[in-house]
Parts: sequence; structure tokens; C-alpha cells
Amino acid sequence: MSFDLNQLIKGKVWKFGDSIETDAINPYYRYPTMEELKQHTMEAYRPEFPKEVKPGDIVVAGRNFGCGSSRPGLVLREVGVAAVVVESVARLFLRNNISRAIPIFMAPGITQIVNDGEVLEVDYPAGIVRNSRTGASVTMRKFPPMIEQIFKAGGLPEFARARYEAELAKQAGSAR
Amino acid sequence: MAMTMAEKLFSRHNLDGTPVVAGDILTARIDGAMCHYHAAEPMMEAAEQAGFKGGLPRVWDPDRVFVLLDHHQPALSQSLADSNAAVRREVERLGITCFHDAEPGISHQMMADYGLMRPGELVVGNDSHTISYGAINSGGIGITRADMFYVLLFGELWFQVPTSLKVVLNGRQPNYPIAKDIILYLAGLYGDDFAGSMSIEYSGTLVPQLSIDSRMCLSAHGVEVGAKLALFPYDDKTREFMKSRTDKPYEPLVADADAKYEKEIVLNVDDMPFMVAKPHQFGNVGPVSESAGVKINQAQIGSCANGRFEDIEIAARLLDGRRVAKGVRLLISPASQQVYLQCLKAGLIEKLVAAGAHVITPGCGICQPKVGFISDKEVCITATTRNFKGRKGSIHADIYLGGPLTVVAAAVAGKIMDPREVFSEL
Ligand code: SF4
Repeated sequence: MSFDLNQLIKGKVWKFGDSIETDAINPYYRYPTMEELKQHTMEAYRPEFPKEVKPGDIVVAGRNFGCGSSRPGLVLREVGVAAVVVESVARLFLRNNISRAIPIFMAPGITQIVNDGEVLEVDYPAGIVRNSRTGASVTMRKFPPMIEQIFKAGGLPEFARARYEAELAKQAGSAR
Repeated sequence: MAMTMAEKLFSRHNLDGTPVVAGDILTARIDGAMCHYHAAEPMMEAAEQAGFKGGLPRVWDPDRVFVLLDHHQPALSQSLADSNAAVRREVERLGITCFHDAEPGISHQMMADYGLMRPGELVVGNDSHTISYGAINSGGIGITRADMFYVLLFGELWFQVPTSLKVVLNGRQPNYPIAKDIILYLAGLYGDDFAGSMSIEYSGTLVPQLSIDSRMCLSAHGVEVGAKLALFPYDDKTREFMKSRTDKPYEPLVADADAKYEKEIVLNVDDMPFMVAKPHQFGNVGPVSESAGVKINQAQIGSCANGRFEDIEIAARLLDGRRVAKGVRLLISPASQQVYLQCLKAGLIEKLVAAGAHVITPGCGICQPKVGFISDKEVCITATTRNFKGRKGSIHADIYLGGPLTVVAAAVAGKIMDPREVFSEL
């Protein structure tokens, strides 16, 4: 699924602390199916989260978000989370979001400008994250062009397909 | 230009053939790809996401793909058995030559046992602890499932060259393993992401004394402190280790003397206390005295961090003639069949069983868990990789992390205690 980094995202904030790990996001060894996962994601930190999260909400967290295993955070998208905005993100979680084209933004200082339940605006083209009520904002890190392309393609598997098909076409051309 | 090990690794594997330095983005040539249960359903899912009907159309080099069924072996449920069967079908369909199927064990340990990664290589795995290959000077890097899909098709992947962090370990190796204490100590001092996306390079006077087992523990735990790579220098011990495991040539990574490091950390281990991570984060660390007296229900030694010979040897040595405390479940799981065999031949298993320990089939079973779930309000101390909420079952249980010695002391005392107070011979 392609994700347009240039779209504006606005949503209600669920705020979490530092070093939220993939065992909390994706406890697949206790809940192996996506349907079960949706009912339990993040409950280790906020028991009400899986019940009350609404499509369009935004997850804000501290440093080292998604540390731990290489498990992806697909379940967050499945429960409707529109974006994840964090102080910093663990490298495998970041790679997962890039290779699946799931929006994640690194905005140092984010936890200082927004409280749980407030509304946040994410403006990637402007490189800014803003608290709608207070107007306070912080800048976010932009992705290198190559990563932006992966988002545009809809993820790394799609990117791979485009390359594979191009190779096949080339082979067919030279065989002729 | 003076280079770190990471810069050398990526320069050597850069498809463009040009040298790269920290911060550069490149497409790298992959020497080996380690895949576990992700080889089937998750790969199928990625294929479908991309619009490939019927799954991955090929693997770029069937001899460079290693599939090892570790997380779910032997299958403890119907769905896991079905998932393993799906992996078997995929391996056959794609013609993958290296498949460890019916052999229980942790993928990373089997990669080492069979010499499937070598010094100087760039080896990716869709498991975060692939980083442990740095122990033998191999560029092991954890990647994601969708990344692996790309690798399996083309044998290439994008990376950003990490900055490097020099960790200098000085001091003397005691006659028991301290690798876990070292990494916990550092995580406690500098935080659980002190090496975030960086490459750790170990050096110092302790390093030549460290066994390959200890190096593997330190490298595996690189990911618990955020690292992309955790590399040890190549030395006589590495050469000896590789000698019986591979006859293919390899070219070790050597950092240049004046290479540029982002940071440097120096630790002398001589006065370091035994360290314990308290619930529920890896960086929530203190000396064992801070947790002393906490009653435990379960104690564990195993995983890709601490399931090796020296971890089990120290447990057997100290349990010889002693008993596990009444009511405490001590689970010990060798990291692989090879490690298990090594322990059997050394007479360790008999001592463990006589003392009342459960010896669990090699694999990831006790780590994630598949066996040994704990209940609400129970307490587990474990020499495995993670103490996150729910990692051993209930999210209302407490998990402490410690080295194998600290774990075995707790198992004997029934509560967390300084090993020196439990074992007078130390
Ligand atoms: S032993 Fe634990 S941490 Fe290591 S690979 Fe297995 S599940 Fe992961």
C-alpha cells in the first residue's frame, strides 16, 4: 500500500514513554493472529489502548520506540493508527516502517510539546509537527530521497517487484 | 583513508565498488541470508503485498540462503506445526540447499556451529540477534521480513553506513563468565540505546581473554543497546573457532589504527559487581545487591545470549552437590544440539538433573516463550535476552535479567542474592 508522505495528518494523541518494545506492540507469541493482536497491542503499557484507539489517532512516544525484536508494527496500522511520532526509533522498527511504507516520524522534542489526548498535526513537506491547541511545534527529520521513493512505491516488496519486472522485460527484449 | 571495521565491511560490499564512510547510503552485496520461520508465511505475505502470485519467484543464490527452524521446533501447537510444514514446502520449491529442519537449536548458534558465517562477510538475518555474528568478526545484521524479501530476490540490500562506538574492555577474566554483567553494566550506565544504530567495536586487554561464547553473548546483546553491528577483532581464538567449521577462505575485518569513532567508552571489569536488570527494561540495571531478597519462582539459562557451554558449565559446576530451592523451577536450555552434546560429554547434564534442573530441548523455547510460561505476580530471573513485560507469559509478572552465575545463585537460594554469598568457593 503506497503511502503519500506529503499528505497532512491530524489526529488525537496516545502518548507513551521511552523504549516501548515490539513485545508490547506485537505480542505474537501469545496472540498469533492479527485479530487477537488487535485486541492486545500496547496493553502492557495502556490496557485501554486496544479498546479505545480510533482510526486516525496518532501514537507519540519517547526515545527508542520499537526496540527489541525485528517484528513489524503492522498491527498499529490495523487498529487505525495514522502515524507514529517519536523522539527516536530503534533501527529495526524504522526499517520495518520504511519497508512497509507505514508512516513514522522522528521529531526530537515531540514529548515536550504535546500531552495525551491533544490533537497533533504532522506536516512532512514543511518538516514540522504541531500541537493544534497550543501551536507549539518541533521540526522532524526528513528521509533521504531513496527512502522517500520506497514510501512512494508502497514498500520494499513493491520496489522489488518493479525491479524484477524490469529485469524480465529486458531479458525478453534481448532474447528476441 | 582510515576506516572503522563497519566502514571496511560496507566498502568491501558496496555494489558501486567505491569506498563508503559513516553516513553514506549504499546498496550492498550480501554474502549470506539467514531465515527462520519467516521463510514461509511472512515471505508469502510480502510477495502478495507486492503482487507476486504464489510467493517469491526465486532466490538469488540457493546456496547462500540458510533456513533454520528454531523458534517453533519442535512444534508445540498445531498452528506452529503447520507453519513449519509451510517452510518445508517453500524450501523445496525454491531449491534452498541449506535447511536445518528437524534439528532443534537456535538459528544463530547453528550458524556458528556449522560455519555458515565467516569473518569479514556481510550476513543478514530476519532476526534481531543476527548481530551476534560480530563475535567472530562477521558482519551480522538483523533486517526485517520485507528487507529479506528483497535480499532473497536480488542478493542485495540498502544500508546506511553506521558511525562507530569504541568499547574498550580492560581487566582480568575471572573463572566464570561475566559477559552478561558487562553489557548490563553498560546499559545501566549509558541507557538501553547508547549504541543506537551504531557499530560497536570491542577492544581492550580483556578481549583476548574472552571466550567465543562470551563474545557471542556481548555481540548478541548489541541489539539490546540499539546497535546495528557489534564486532570483535579477529584473533587466534577466532581462527581456532573457524578452523574446524569452514574450509572456505575469508578475509577478516581490521580497523585502521586512526579510524574515526563517534564515541569511546572504557570499562575496567575488575571491580564490577554482578549486575541485574530489573523489570521491565534492559536498561533498568543495578548491582545484584539492589534486588537482593526478591523471591523467585522460575530461573532460566539459555537463549542466543546465554545458552552456550560456558553458561551451562558454570551452572553445573555450582549445582554439583547442591539442590535447586524447593518450589523453584530452574530451566536450562542449550543453544543447539552441538552445545547440548558438548555439555553431555563433559558430564554437565547429569549434575544439572541431579540438582533438580529441567533440561529443555535446544531452541528459543524458554526465551520467548514456548515452554515455561509464568503466571500473574510470579517472578523469573533469567539469563536470556529480554525482560520486557509479558516476555515469559503474563504481563503482570516480573522478569529480572542476570548472568548465568546470578541465575543459578537465585535458583539455589530461592531468591535473588549476590552469588558470592551463596557460593563460598567463588
Ligand atoms: S533465543 Fe530468544 S532472543 Fe534469541 S533468537 Fe531465539 S527467541 Fe530470539
